[in-house]
Amino acid sequence: MAEELGPYIQKAAQFIGAGLAMGLGAIGPGIGEGFAAGKACEGIARRPEEQSLITRTMLVGQAVSESTGIYSLVIAILLIFVVK
Amino acid sequence: MDIEITPAPPYRPFPHLEGESEIFNLGLNMPTIFFSWLIIGLLAVVCFVVYRKLRPKPGRLQLLLELIVDAFDNLTQSSLGKRGRKYLAFVGTIFLFVWLSNIIGIIPGFEEPTRDLNTPLGLMIISILVAHGSGIRVKGLRKYVKEYFEPGFQFRGRWIPNVIIFPLNVVGEFGKAISLPFRLFGNIFGGAIIIVVLSNLLLFVGMPPFLLFFFGLFVGTIQAFVFAMLAMTYTAVAIAD
Repeated sequence: MAEELGPYIQKAAQFIGAGLAMGLGAIGPGIGEGFAAGKACEGIARRPEEQSLITRTMLVGQAVSESTGIYSLVIAILLIFVVK
Repeated sequence: MDIEITPAPPYRPFPHLEGESEIFNLGLNMPTIFFSWLIIGLLAVVCFVVYRKLRPKPGRLQLLLELIVDAFDNLTQSSLGKRGRKYLAFVGTIFLFVWLSNIIGIIPGFEEPTRDLNTPLGLMIISILVAHGSGIRVKGLRKYVKEYFEPGFQFRGRWIPNVIIFPLNVVGEFGKAISLPFRLFGNIFGGAIIIVVLSNLLLFVGMPPFLLFFFGLFVGTIQAFVFAMLAMTYTAVAIAD
């Protein structure tokens, strides 16, 4: 019985793991990027003439803080498509 | 019984380019190579044509290229200072190549070279070599190695290297190098997967153009900009005193 169910349990564990990795990994970047965008809005409201510099810095900073979310995405992709 | 994930077969206009061909037993990934060279050829031809016909009153193509070159000239000058001109070609070329690689996916059947992890990895190797090579050339090998032991101690007027912080600095450098390609690859590949999955769910009704617009044009442009900016920032950090 257990030998028959083995592949199914593994597949289910892979999908649950992928969902958990993506869902939990998306929390941090979501909060961080929203925080960065809010602060950039404040900065632009304070000094509208610096808009291009603030937007540029915000984008680079958001992309850097996004990398943990991208790691979890890569892990989720590995779990779903690569792990057999 | 076996569980298999079978996505709907996408539209394939270049079947002869698919799969791994065994040229010289290297296992070459033909779509990536083909579209990379397509983009390189496109860039080279367009730039050559515009360069041969430079006019004081620019046409549309020359105006577009002048805008891009001018924007990157300002960027490199503002972050690299007086050495910025030397890195203008490098940063601009990386941006243009990655940008075209990302947005070529909005044409049906065309595959982004950046969807393959090997392309971002190769670009990462170039960027890291440029950053560390220019760091060594500008500051000298002695000062470059000394940076890894910073912040050091002062003991009776002599500088003592900080051995504890050295592994952290090395791991930090590796982390910078690894996060650079995976960010680009994850964004483009994740976007491609979301496009395929959502398009299959919606039976290709309505949504795919918007998805292609968002993931291809918007995310692609931002990620190309971020990749070029980070390559430039790593160089700026490496050559900063």
